[in-house]
Amino acid sequence: MTVAVTTRRASTPFSRYRQALWLLTARDLKVRYTTSFLGYFWSIVDPLIMSLIYYFVFTVIFHRGDAVHQPYIVFLLTGLLPWMWFTGSVGDTTRAFLREQKLIRSTRIPRTIWVLRLVLSKGIEFIASVPVVALFALLTLATKTPAHVSWDALLSIPAFVIEAVLIVGIGLIVAPLVVFFRDLERAVKLALRFLFYASPIVYGLNELTNPTLHVLAAFNPLSGIFSMYRASFFPAELDWFAVWVSAAMSVVILGIGILVFKNSVHRVLKEL
Amino acid sequence: MTTEAPVKVQTTDAVIRVTDVGIRFQRNRRRRRSFKDLFAGRVRRAKPDEFWALRNVRFAVAPGEAIGVVGRNGQGKSTLLKLVAEVMLPDEGRVEVNGGVAPLIEITGGFVDDLTVRDNVYLTAGLHGMRREEITERFDEIIDFAEISDFVDTPYKHLSSGMRVRIAFAVISRLEEPILLVDEVLAVGDRAFREKCYKRIDEMLASGRTLFFVSHSEKDLRRFCTRGLYLDRGKLVLDGPINDVIDRYNKDYPAEQ
Repeated sequence: MTVAVTTRRASTPFSRYRQALWLLTARDLKVRYTTSFLGYFWSIVDPLIMSLIYYFVFTVIFHRGDAVHQPYIVFLLTGLLPWMWFTGSVGDTTRAFLREQKLIRSTRIPRTIWVLRLVLSKGIEFIASVPVVALFALLTLATKTPAHVSWDALLSIPAFVIEAVLIVGIGLIVAPLVVFFRDLERAVKLALRFLFYASPIVYGLNELTNPTLHVLAAFNPLSGIFSMYRASFFPAELDWFAVWVSAAMSVVILGIGILVFKNSVHRVLKEL
Repeated sequence: MTTEAPVKVQTTDAVIRVTDVGIRFQRNRRRRRSFKDLFAGRVRRAKPDEFWALRNVRFAVAPGEAIGVVGRNGQGKSTLLKLVAEVMLPDEGRVEVNGGVAPLIEITGGFVDDLTVRDNVYLTAGLHGMRREEITERFDEIIDFAEISDFVDTPYKHLSSGMRVRIAFAVISRLEEPILLVDEVLAVGDRAFREKCYKRIDEMLASGRTLFFVSHSEKDLRRFCTRGLYLDRGKLVLDGPINDVIDRYNKDYPAEQ
C-alpha cells in the first residue's frame, strides 16, 4: 500500500508553542475588545480610578501632598500599574485549567501555555497602560511639582522581566493546585489583598524606617520590582538590596513552579 | 479470557506505539487529598480507592491501518483514545505517536461563543498546528463542507447545534494530519451530513491515513476498520481482524433477544 500522506510542514516544537501561545492571547484580547465598546479603556480605567481614590485619600484628607513623593499621582501610578499586572494574572491563573477544560481535553498543545498566555495577555495590557503614566507626568509639568524622568527609567525593562518570571512561577504553582484544592482560589484572592498593602504601592520602600520591617519587606519580591519601576521618576526609591533579593526569589519561585507543574500535570489532566 | 499475542506489525515503523500502558482513576472524587499524594511519583501502588482504567495495554499501529476499538461502556475505550491523542498522560508505560493527530474528540471544545465562525476556524485550526496561509487556502472548502456559507461572520453562539458540529467536523477533518482519531461524534448531525462525514473518512483512509476509531456501531466498525482492539475491564483482551473481534465481543456479551 502506498502512503500518500505528505509531511506538510517542518515546524519546530518551539514555533508551534509560540503559535499556540499567540493565538490564545490574541483570542483573549479579541474577545475582550469585541464584546465591549470601550475595549482598551477598560484595561486602564481600573488602575486609574484606584489611583485617583488613593490620591484623594492621601493628599486631600491626610495632607500627604507636602510629603516626600512629589507628584504623588505619578508615584501611585508607577506602583499600581505593575501591581495590576501581578494581581490580574495571578488571580486569573487560579482558573487557568478550569476555564479552558473543554479545550484542554481536546488539544495537545504544551500545558504550560495555559498559564503563560494569561501572563502574556495581562502583560500586554500593562504595556498598553504605560501611556497613562506618561500623560500624568506631562500634566504635572504645569504644576509646582513637575515629574522628572531619570535615566533609571531603563530599569523598567529588567523590572518587567523579573516580574514576568515571578508571575509565571507563581502561576505554575497555583494553576495545578487549584484543580485539586478549590479552596485555594479564595485563599489566593485573600493573599493578594493582603499583599497589596504589604507591598510598597501607596507608600515607598524607604518609608519603612524600622530596620527589621525594611529587611522583611525586601523579601517580598514585589518590593524590589516596584522600586525599579519607581526609579523612573523617583531615583531615591531604587533599593539594590531589594532588587537582588527579588530577582533571586523570582528565579527560585519559577524553579519551584516548573517542578510542581511537571509533577502534577498528568493528575490535572485526569481531573478535568 | 486469554490475551493473544498482540503485535502484528513491525514495531520500527509504527505510527502509534502503546507500550504497557496503565492509567488509574479515583473511585471517589470527593476523597480528601494530601499534598504528599499529589507529588508522589507516577509509578506507585494503587491506593484502595483507586482502580486501573487500563493496564498492561500494548499494541502498535502501522501507517494506513484502520483500527476499531470495541468494548462495553466504561471499559476504557475513550480513555485509550485520549491517551493516543495525548490529552491524557499514562501513569505507567509509554504512548508514542509519530506524526500529527487530527482528534475528533470533543470537537466543539475549542470554539468560542463570542467570536465569529471565521475567527473560530482560524483559532481552532491554528491550535491544531495549521499555519495561517494554509487555513486561508482551505477556508472556503471548510465552509462549503459545513454548508454554512451564509453564517461566516455570525458569532458562534448564534449557530444551531447541528451547524456547530458541522463546522467543527469540517475544520478538524481538513487538518491533513496523518492520524485521525474518531470518538463516536458521527452519531450527531442529520443523515445527509453523516453520509458526508463517512465519505470524507473514506477519502482520508484511501489517501493512506491511519484511523483510530471508537464506536458502538457494528456497522460503522465493519465499514471502516480492518483491525479491532477489544477492551474489557481495562485489559486488551483481543487484537485481531475486526470481524473476529466483533464476533468475540458478541459472544461475550450477546445482544438481548
